[in-house]
Amino acid sequence: MSEQLTKGEKTILRELMNIGQRVPTSQLANNLGQAEERVISILNSLASRNLVEIISREIVSYKITEEGQEYAETGLPEVRLFNAVKSLGGVASFDDASAQSGMDHKTKGIAMNWARKNHWLQILKEDDATVLRSLVDAPESDVSDVLEQVASGKGTLSKSMSDALRQALERNLVSEVITKKFETEIIESEVAEVEQLLAVDSGGIGNLTPEILTTGAWRNKSFRPYNVDIVPAYANYGKKHPYAEFNDWLREIMIGLGFTEWFGPYVETEFWGHDTLFVPQDHVSREVQDQFRVAAPFDHGHIRDRKYYKAVKAVHENGGTTGSKGWDWPYSEEVATRLCLRPHTTPVSMRYLYEHRESPQKMFIIDRNFRSETLSATHGQEFDQCEGIIMDKGLTLRDLLGYLTSICNAVGIKKLKFKPGQFPFTEPSVETFGKHEKLGWIELGGSGIFRPEVTLPLGIEDTVLAWGIGSGRLYMAAMGINDIRDLFSRDLNWLRRSHFVR
Amino acid sequence: MIVECRIDDLLSLIGKKLTHRQLEDTLFLIKAEIEKLEGNIVEIEVNPDRQDMLSTEGIARAVRSFLRIDSGLWKYPVRKSGKQVIVKPGLSKIRPFICCSIIKGVPSDDELIKEYMHLQDALTSTHGRNRNKASIGLYVYDDIQFPVIYKPQKPEKIKFIPLGYEKEMDGPTILAVHEKGVEFGPILQNHSKWPLLIDSKNQVLSLPPIINSNNLGRMTTETKNLFIEVTGTHLPTVDQALNIITASLAERGGKIESVNVVYPDGSTEETPNFKPEGMKLDIREINRMIGLDLTGTEIIQALERMGYGTKMLRSKQVQILIPQVRMDILHPVDIIEDVAIGYGFDNLKPAMPQTMTAGKTNPVTRVKNKLRDLMVGMEYNEVMNYIMTSPELLNDKMLRNRLMITTGNPKSLSYSVLRNSLLPILLDFTSQNQHADYPQKVFEVGDIVIPDETKETCVDQVPSVCGLESDVKVNITKLMSEIGFLLRNLGLGERFKFESEKNTDFIEGRSGCIKIDGKTWGIFGEISPVILSNFGIGYPIVAFEIFFPREIDWLM
Repeated sequence: MSEQLTKGEKTILRELMNIGQRVPTSQLANNLGQAEERVISILNSLASRNLVEIISREIVSYKITEEGQEYAETGLPEVRLFNAVKSLGGVASFDDASAQSGMDHKTKGIAMNWARKNHWLQILKEDDATVLRSLVDAPESDVSDVLEQVASGKGTLSKSMSDALRQALERNLVSEVITKKFETEIIESEVAEVEQLLAVDSGGIGNLTPEILTTGAWRNKSFRPYNVDIVPAYANYGKKHPYAEFNDWLREIMIGLGFTEWFGPYVETEFWGHDTLFVPQDHVSREVQDQFRVAAPFDHGHIRDRKYYKAVKAVHENGGTTGSKGWDWPYSEEVATRLCLRPHTTPVSMRYLYEHRESPQKMFIIDRNFRSETLSATHGQEFDQCEGIIMDKGLTLRDLLGYLTSICNAVGIKKLKFKPGQFPFTEPSVETFGKHEKLGWIELGGSGIFRPEVTLPLGIEDTVLAWGIGSGRLYMAAMGINDIRDLFSRDLNWLRRSHFVR
Repeated sequence: MIVECRIDDLLSLIGKKLTHRQLEDTLFLIKAEIEKLEGNIVEIEVNPDRQDMLSTEGIARAVRSFLRIDSGLWKYPVRKSGKQVIVKPGLSKIRPFICCSIIKGVPSDDELIKEYMHLQDALTSTHGRNRNKASIGLYVYDDIQFPVIYKPQKPEKIKFIPLGYEKEMDGPTILAVHEKGVEFGPILQNHSKWPLLIDSKNQVLSLPPIINSNNLGRMTTETKNLFIEVTGTHLPTVDQALNIITASLAERGGKIESVNVVYPDGSTEETPNFKPEGMKLDIREINRMIGLDLTGTEIIQALERMGYGTKMLRSKQVQILIPQVRMDILHPVDIIEDVAIGYGFDNLKPAMPQTMTAGKTNPVTRVKNKLRDLMVGMEYNEVMNYIMTSPELLNDKMLRNRLMITTGNPKSLSYSVLRNSLLPILLDFTSQNQHADYPQKVFEVGDIVIPDETKETCVDQVPSVCGLESDVKVNITKLMSEIGFLLRNLGLGERFKFESEKNTDFIEGRSGCIKIDGKTWGIFGEISPVILSNFGIGYPIVAFEIFFPREIDWLM
């Protein structure tokens, strides 16, 4: 063990001692300003002496093939074929459709095959001709997304694409690239040994130890200098998710403005989700294409307060005692108890008002909502809303604008404009637009004064101002994120490097 | 809802030259927004409450009033035609109501016909609830022999050439073959007789709410005089739809004539009815809600910009006449909003209310934040995931068979159920990040959703914390110290206990449960290689998950 170390070995060991944790060899090489191959070869020699450990891992990433590149540019053949059928009125012969799409013989076969497998096109035989009929409004292909992302150089892909990725691999549109990656560290039990080896000809104290301090041996000795000019290694310590931190910050702002945080469940009865909010039972937003219905293990919930239920029912049928005409349409308990995933946080406001009917009140919630959307760059099936209400005597529409202004100002959006809006549960209703430095005018959310049809069944006569702002939208604007899927990023590397600071 | 207009046409109906910018700014203040502008075509998004603005004519009318080119009550003079529509018995359970009008001298070119059809579609899809509550038919007036008969008929006996076809079909065939029959057939399917409109020469006008006949129901550029009918199941909806489409055509210069609808009980309704409805509003009430101090005159000006008729009453009240194309006025607050819009949202100055309350964090959030701080202190990295996930992930890959909240109409199986545990979600996350540097320590604090029929919405939404460490080698003793650190810092030091317990998530002999006061709150262990391989993970993992009751009386 007393073998001398070469200068190169010493440099590397010193650096490893400095870093004090496992480090990628690329980073080590970078710190020392040396070629990685050289660093690895020295590490190998150190490893053979059992001073360091080298861990090697295989990383799989993807690159686009020539065929994939072509499709990334011109569109997948099955999408082109489908679009051709659609442009010919939804039904077309195979020959017409492939001519319209301008595909060659080989490609059109691939196209029909996949369009059928994806259930986009139905294939019928009519008078010896092959006829295609479209089965969906628009083709949704994760494979296109995979090609787009791989083509743009995103080598690692998110899990939501795994099936599509498999398909792209099978079709030879993308291929796997395997790279080796090395990490290294000093073997823990050998740290003292390494220290000694490094100290031999250093002519100075390395680690200052309790023993040296007790004996005073440090007096009249010099300390070996360490390299403190390096760029420190990226360290993976624990930290919070930047989007969660953003929401923490929003919460702090709301509490600072005097709002109390409340809670309500993701799964709601339509009674709370819509009826209490005077959304007519046959409103389009309650249809299956807009909101998620719960089918199992239970599809209907319970009505807890019959008296309140009756008051809400009366408001829907004829306005009840609110001075409104109501919807003049039969009200169904079956619809009222139907379970859905809440499409907005407004039912939480109703649950709060149900329990707090005396002025003054201020409540908020920042939480998840669900809409029946296909996940894409611009739409998610989940989004967070920052929702708030204020109840007090004599509050006005101008007060609502005042609150919206102060909340938006607090998150750094200074310039606002207000548009008259429409929501079934507020009147007047306001849509707020904020001027973002880079993105221009963006819609921030909806607001208004709760209708008497909403508040009077609870016996509330004072004004209730209400609003909901998409917190994801604010965050994306603040972080310069364009793809909504990156809100809940599944890329640990990205999370480790990104941060939210305010 | 999007309305497509030709700008030159829109501006000529407005009757004033406006720059695109002026048009956009004006529309913004009256609930409409320019979505796209290309050449002469502009796409305008209209708020769904303003069904009266679903056409170029409707938008032009609203802009004209708002810019005071022509303000005050929107009026539509009606001449009596004396023509009759006779309703036969037997429709009361099928489609009882019909309202009709006649318009003479309507300009029609190909573009206009397309726009009329658009308005008809837009009205019946939203206001008419996809033709359930109301559907509209337009016919060539000059080819019809009055009186028109509205009667129930057996489906097989209904025979005519539907619009866009050349062959005669019977009722069932139309429902099976015709595009509109397939789309709207379900409205009729369960009835043994279907509604039919015929004229006195036995010519079929239409099979409401499905399709017009090709003979009488096809408008061409030659058509100058129109017969319009709206049938449906809800009389106010039917009435309003007729008024909106009739008024739109009248804005183009058509002259409106009324029709007498004779019901089986002998009663007669003269339609369309443009007699405005009245409402009285207190000036103080208006000012109180908006937060202004407007005089009666200012309020009247604002209302006239919005197309209302007005009269000042002595008692600090305004008598208001509501134009019969506005179907969104249910309550005085709806008119107060229009006062604010008429006054101009751009003129409203934000005010800061004095409502004083003390804000506070929800106690559960505080516990969650505490957990997050402790996890970060132990060098875990926070991750955030969707609440929705797949049954494959929660059950199949985990070899579990647990109940989960399942949606009936998912867009994809990958997001079709609500997570009932965080561990599978974090394992999935880890499987996606095997290219990133190790060791990896990740955690999530968030709610999971457990079916529970005793709860109001049949779910228990439980705060959970899950932590996971993955590396070339892992250490369960270290994991246990971390869980201990977590629990001790929540004040549960004296109350928790680990007990070894078999669990298919983990390697046998390397798993346990976390008990608080003798009740199981959580699990920990080294993940079983079966599960790791199900997730395609090539590194060992130790993990824990703890479920915290939402009622936090346990926190002492």
